[in-house]
Amino acid sequence: MRRNRLTYLIFFALIAMIASCQKVISLKLDNSAPQLVIEGNLTDVYGIQYVVITKSVPFTSTNTFPRVTGASVSITDDSTGYVFKFHEDTTGVYSYYPMVGLAGRKYIMTVKTGGQVYTASSTMPQLVNLDSITAKISSFGNSDLRTITVNYQDPASIANQYRFVLNVNHKPSGTIFAFDDSFTNGRYVRQDLFENGTDINNQDTVSVEMQCIDRNIYEYWYSLSQQQQNGPGGGTTPSNPPSNFDNNALGYFSAHTTESRVIIVN
Amino acid sequence: MLKLFYPLFNCVKFRLILLICLLFTLAVPYTALAQKSFTISGNIKDAVTGEALIGASVRVNELPKAGAVSNGYGFYSLSIPHGEYSLIISYVGYTPVAQKITLTKDTVLNIALQPRNSLEEVVISSKTARNNANISSPQMGVEKLDMSQINNVPVLLGERDILKTITLLPGVEAAGEGNTGFYVRGGSSDQNLILLDEAIVYNASHLFGFFSTFNSDAIKDVSLYKGGMPAQYGGRLSSVLDVKMDEGNNKEYSTEGGIGLISSRIKFEGPIEKDKGSFMISARRTYIDALLKASSDSSIRGSTLYFYDLNAKANYHFDDKNAIYLSGYFGKDVLGLLNTFGTNWGNSTATLRFNHIFSSKLFSNTSLIYSNYNYTIQSYLTGNQFVAVSKIEDIDFKEDLQYFAGNGHTINFGIDALHHNLAPGSLTAPDSSSFNTRSIDRRYGLETAAYISDEWKVSSHLNLLYGLRLSSIAIFGPGTFNTYDADGNTVTSKTYGSGDVVKSYLYLEPRISASYSLDDQQSIKASYNRNTQNIHILSNSNSSTPTDLYAMSSNNIKPEIADQVSTGYFRNFSNNIFEFSAEVYYKWLQNQIDYKNGAELLLNPDVESQLVYGTGRAYGIEFFMKKKYGRFNGWIGYTLSRTERKFDAINNGDYFPATQDRTHDISAVGIFKLNNRWSFSGTFVYESGNAVTYPNGKYDIGGLTTYYYSERNGDREPSTNRLDLGATLEGKQHKKYHSSWTFGIYNVYNHRNPYAITFRDSKTNPGTTEAVITSLFGRVPSITWNFRF
Repeated sequence: MRRNRLTYLIFFALIAMIASCQKVISLKLDNSAPQLVIEGNLTDVYGIQYVVITKSVPFTSTNTFPRVTGASVSITDDSTGYVFKFHEDTTGVYSYYPMVGLAGRKYIMTVKTGGQVYTASSTMPQLVNLDSITAKISSFGNSDLRTITVNYQDPASIANQYRFVLNVNHKPSGTIFAFDDSFTNGRYVRQDLFENGTDINNQDTVSVEMQCIDRNIYEYWYSLSQQQQNGPGGGTTPSNPPSNFDNNALGYFSAHTTESRVIIVN
Repeated sequence: MLKLFYPLFNCVKFRLILLICLLFTLAVPYTALAQKSFTISGNIKDAVTGEALIGASVRVNELPKAGAVSNGYGFYSLSIPHGEYSLIISYVGYTPVAQKITLTKDTVLNIALQPRNSLEEVVISSKTARNNANISSPQMGVEKLDMSQINNVPVLLGERDILKTITLLPGVEAAGEGNTGFYVRGGSSDQNLILLDEAIVYNASHLFGFFSTFNSDAIKDVSLYKGGMPAQYGGRLSSVLDVKMDEGNNKEYSTEGGIGLISSRIKFEGPIEKDKGSFMISARRTYIDALLKASSDSSIRGSTLYFYDLNAKANYHFDDKNAIYLSGYFGKDVLGLLNTFGTNWGNSTATLRFNHIFSSKLFSNTSLIYSNYNYTIQSYLTGNQFVAVSKIEDIDFKEDLQYFAGNGHTINFGIDALHHNLAPGSLTAPDSSSFNTRSIDRRYGLETAAYISDEWKVSSHLNLLYGLRLSSIAIFGPGTFNTYDADGNTVTSKTYGSGDVVKSYLYLEPRISASYSLDDQQSIKASYNRNTQNIHILSNSNSSTPTDLYAMSSNNIKPEIADQVSTGYFRNFSNNIFEFSAEVYYKWLQNQIDYKNGAELLLNPDVESQLVYGTGRAYGIEFFMKKKYGRFNGWIGYTLSRTERKFDAINNGDYFPATQDRTHDISAVGIFKLNNRWSFSGTFVYESGNAVTYPNGKYDIGGLTTYYYSERNGDREPSTNRLDLGATLEGKQHKKYHSSWTFGIYNVYNHRNPYAITFRDSKTNPGTTEAVITSLFGRVPSITWNFRF
């Protein structure tokens, strides 16, 4: 629940009415040296698992992020000690086939590159089923637009964290949704995915992936989502989200469940 | 309930008695040695309305060193040897009175001053009326605002506002455009003590800070202390804004008001019993919601958006020695968006005071104060219904005494007991909602303080104001209190019963100021003071909001501490028509609060696990030039300053600029009275940009452009600058009524000032990113009609 966000939505309406104006400006920004970015995912679906390693670029460059080749990537199953050594198929993309993450197991990812070793661990949470996704008329602004709601039963016995990935007409919506059950433990939850970038119209194809994530990964996505609110009147002082990798690598290693639903909005 | 405070009271009382004895041994011998003298005392009032005049000066022609200034209730006391004297009583904006007196015994002398209205008198204002209190008083870092001046300063949408006007003073910065939040000498906005008739106002803003809770109609006197805080004030680090409400006319009934673009206001005042008591009621309401109704967008049309406030005060003088004052404030903001969300918040305060004059030398004020700030957020969304409520409630008892000892000593002393009841939050939801009903433990605390200070005219050149404030807080159960490790995990957890002391802190706060007059036109001053703070706003967003969380000092949060030294040169020119000052300050801050990344503060029972603690420092120099008298008056201020914070986890534990670190700050205000009907005004501000964090790179996370930050607040927003103009047209003189028009243009040259700078993927140039500046107000004209009858 984001009470601040709710208040701001009202605030936005007010500001929009008074006068606010937006303009693209050019700023002189300092450029840091390229930083290593590791994006590792392990799902509970038997199949191919991917790790992507890239580097950051200056703000003023185009959005082409150099891939890091020749890294040694592996995942260790902490309970069995078995090491899954990943292969680099295309430049910077490392995979293992076939592999599945099991609920309750802790996995450790090790990445060796540029003479450094980076490790992160993540525990596969218990699966919570995505009951359904539904669409309703948007509560804010234009009544032609729709808001997507995800419906699921939160288990009362344990602490749960979720991430939802919303795609509209096969394109990522660009908004990060990360929730925990501190306000909803044990409830049947109808969570609205309030959107601030992509419009959802009638007849659009909308898909939602529900991920059950561990606490560290929740904190990663949640801090990233807070910075997305960095618009007028709100947002936190921006900082890098807390990565579960050591040695200052950016990115994350997430062992999570995955379940998707697709609807055509009407 | 009181029983549980006894152990604490006893402890504090003992130390207090010790302290008072100590200080009196310093002060009393001088009094005892004084030659036989008599005391003239009394009240100074406005001859037309009967309102007490605060800070009016009484001087003795024959004794240039002797003099007195009326206190917050208009009372003065002056002890001089027997003899024949002529007294000069003066106050800014009033015709001075000369009074001959033969002093052979203690004498009561009440004085009524006639306000000066017409232009001619302003121009030829006699030299005797201009005083040089700013030179001789040891008090430094203080700004007194003249309400008539505030009413002439142009402001956004014609809503004149004391909080926006004080940000035009050196050392005081506006939190943001159209925002009533302010930063004083590098402090954050929750480090200002805002008092309305001595009651703490927790949230002094309406509509997210576009307006302040202070309706200028109802305000009589405003003082801002940026440094050298007198010992009777405590509880906040940076400043004290002491606002006093109008008392009401005790001679005749009158009504005044105004109709503006977005709000209207009305004030009614009159005698309860002529010359003995009066009342004042003032109300204000906005009607922005009427504009919303005109919107083509149905969801905006269905929105609610307004605030109102109500000030009321009554007083009754039983006789020359006893008076009672009752004042109150109530304000509320209501926002709602068509069947989805609603929120409302507001302050209420009530102050009951009793003045008693024990003798011509001893003045007493006893206050009982109530203050409440609360907010409610409601969601009506199907499946997501909830009501969230948060509240802070204070009850405060104060006894303030002023002893005019004579022979150059004025001693202030008193005690203060302030009880806090904090309900950080509770959420109630129906069974059909996704949310659980939950409630965070209330927190109870008692802040107690005792103070004594002596303003001492050591010689004709040297004035001292020295004192001590002993302040303490005790945090009580019931409730569960945890301690946390560096990662925010609970280490210990202990449950306390009702009235059990969880934690207490005790601080001694020295306050010393001195002025040394080089001659009657120039002086040098210096001060040192320590302040502590036990109520903290927890907010990890960049701007303050009505839903900010209040927390008390606790077993985890230590009281914030500030030590400030300052020194300055004060100089008047042309017989006190011009005032100039230059002040430098350096401030050390301890136990400052910041937040962990991704901190969750709302309705979090372990919110204290989300905090990190550090230190800070602020230093700067302020220049101020003011023309007080004449057809043209105004001021110009310039501040050069630096404000830094230091936290282990941020920027490798190095000092970094705080958000409000603005290197340069210039404000200029000019008011020109053309003739009896027209007056013009203008303000100009220039501020360096806030310290902000911009990305130093970008990378890809799951197809989403994500920004890389290498250092906190390493960048600067563009500067802010703006010119506002105003004009007032007084209506023709009528016997029965008076009216005036106020015209204003905000941001005359339509400069786009930064409100926020954000970064996003470019839509026009895919595959690249861009920086976007959001500005709030372009050029905004306004018009207001004011009336009085």
